[in-house]
Amino acid sequence: MTKLLPRWLLLAVSLVLAVSCSGPAGSAGTASSVSGADEPIRLILGAYTTPREAYGQLIPLFQAAWKAETGQDVVFEESYLGSGAQSRAVVEGFEADVVALSLEADIIRIVNAGLITHDWHAAPYNGMVSNSIVTFGVRAGNPENIQDWTDVARPGLEVLTPNPQTSGGAMWNILSLYGAALRGYVDGVPAGNQAAAQSFLEAVLANVTVMDKGARESITNYEQGVGEVIITYENEILVGQQSGQTYELVIPRSSILIENPVAVVDSSVDRHGTRAVAEAFVDFLFTSQAQTIFADHGLRTPDAAVAAATAARYPPIADLFTIEYFGGWEQATGDFFSESGLYSRAISAVQGP
Amino acid sequence: MTAQARSAGQPIVTAGGRAMTRGLGHWRRRVLIALVWLYAAFLILAPLAALVRGALAQGVGAPIAALSQPDVRGAFLLTLQTALVSVAVHAVFGTLVAWVLVRQYFRGQRWLSALIDLPFAVSAVVVGYMLLLIFGRNGLLGPWLSRLGIQIAFAWPGMLLATLFVTLPFMIRELMPLLEALGREPEQAAATLGANGWQTFWLVTFPALRWGFLYGLALTLARALGEFGAVLIIGGGIQGRTETATVFIYRALDERQYVGAYSAALLLGLVSLGLVVGIDYLRRRYEQP
Repeated sequence: MTKLLPRWLLLAVSLVLAVSCSGPAGSAGTASSVSGADEPIRLILGAYTTPREAYGQLIPLFQAAWKAETGQDVVFEESYLGSGAQSRAVVEGFEADVVALSLEADIIRIVNAGLITHDWHAAPYNGMVSNSIVTFGVRAGNPENIQDWTDVARPGLEVLTPNPQTSGGAMWNILSLYGAALRGYVDGVPAGNQAAAQSFLEAVLANVTVMDKGARESITNYEQGVGEVIITYENEILVGQQSGQTYELVIPRSSILIENPVAVVDSSVDRHGTRAVAEAFVDFLFTSQAQTIFADHGLRTPDAAVAAATAARYPPIADLFTIEYFGGWEQATGDFFSESGLYSRAISAVQGP
Repeated sequence: MTAQARSAGQPIVTAGGRAMTRGLGHWRRRVLIALVWLYAAFLILAPLAALVRGALAQGVGAPIAALSQPDVRGAFLLTLQTALVSVAVHAVFGTLVAWVLVRQYFRGQRWLSALIDLPFAVSAVVVGYMLLLIFGRNGLLGPWLSRLGIQIAFAWPGMLLATLFVTLPFMIRELMPLLEALGREPEQAAATLGANGWQTFWLVTFPALRWGFLYGLALTLARALGEFGAVLIIGGGIQGRTETATVFIYRALDERQYVGAYSAALLLGLVSLGLVVGIDYLRRRYEQP
């Protein structure tokens, strides 16, 4: 009997060794900087949650183009997290070569950490690779009759929006609804009245039943039957509909213009020896071919020619304002999302002390 | 003949059953058993059935096709690799720690013993963040590690550390009571008869711990396979690199790949079920030798 166990152990140990040696992670601890023409090069993309279907189509096209041009294969490693969470992961040491995030503030965090050192605004459209607007998703037939921002504050309505601490989409949602109120597009809120706009923000937050970590989790929860209205990116609703979901898109009269930045992370590409391929990938994202694919996945495009060609799918809205209305991202982040910010005060007023 | 009369005429074999019939009326006993079944069905069988239904929603071939995708195979391999290495480490060091804590007396022993239980109490997400605070770029050891070119956060070593942390107590807590029950006498007797330390351990101590040891291994493995929060945060969920089976399920749900998510969840569930059955068998083996 005593001999039974060592044999058992021997088997277990050899199994462990076998798996450990053959696994993909055996070499994961070291960053490779080999980039010979016949060896595949590895490019790490750190993105926010919603454009993943677009990247699923864009990446193979870029791989083919890069192969044709240089003869080299590119292997992509992709990570999709809420924009804020992704940005913090990069600052904490996730060595993404290219980041595609929801909002400029999340790029600024990486710039401030010293990891992006080039002028990323020098890219076309200030480095903003896609646009969108804040919209509502409603159940088929719009049973709650949601038409505009005013309706979302109706007492008792169940509303989904993600958590602004982790999700860029959530920050856009909060800024959009507050801006719409302040600009006079909410019934009962006079234009320019900050106190009334703040009460409107509180009224909507009181209706929020689930705050997910990212926009994608929020809409998949909505698809499981949670909530009556979801506040989210226009592209999330359109991509959901493409996958067979029956909810409907409602576009409010007033929305902030969502601008999604993309940038090469200098510290990572220098370490990995991937600068050329990373820059080529970012350049590719601004081509009209790539812009058309973004438009096919529900995103609005900053490219005037592509925008004209897809105008039928993306109706203009009455009152479109940008982040400059709040003085830019650094100002807005402090005014709304710092500990004493307008959002933080509203959420504690709603949730109680 | 009523059901009550029929069952009253039959001797009930198990000790537990006899105690039940004496304490409670027959119908009450039945209601109680039915209640337990309902409870288990509601909490365990219903989700499992939903999982099977979801996985098979597009036919029997769909889950097999989904699970044989390279990214899914890679995720499962990574999970298996992390779990097996964790089991191997705890098999050695867990046994050592348990033996030292029971057989040796030293200053701070109680503190150390209490610390062992910490992973039971700390949320896995917190574990992930704690590791980031140590190994992240701005962490305690971050700048030093990055100068040496060693990557722990957002790489496999960090995920292994996270898994080792959450699985730490299982082996130790399994072995400590057995070592205490065994007492020092057999080891002292072996030493008196001229056995050296190694012989004493392999021929006297370890055989007494055998089933508990296997039980500890199985528990550690089960816990390691299912770990999610800590490995997601420290690993970053990078497809093809730090994506484990549970992290894949999380991503597949986000991508609306429901068949893939449910199939992977079902496979993990079946492996856990196999482990639970194995654990149950082991427990009976060593509780009733």
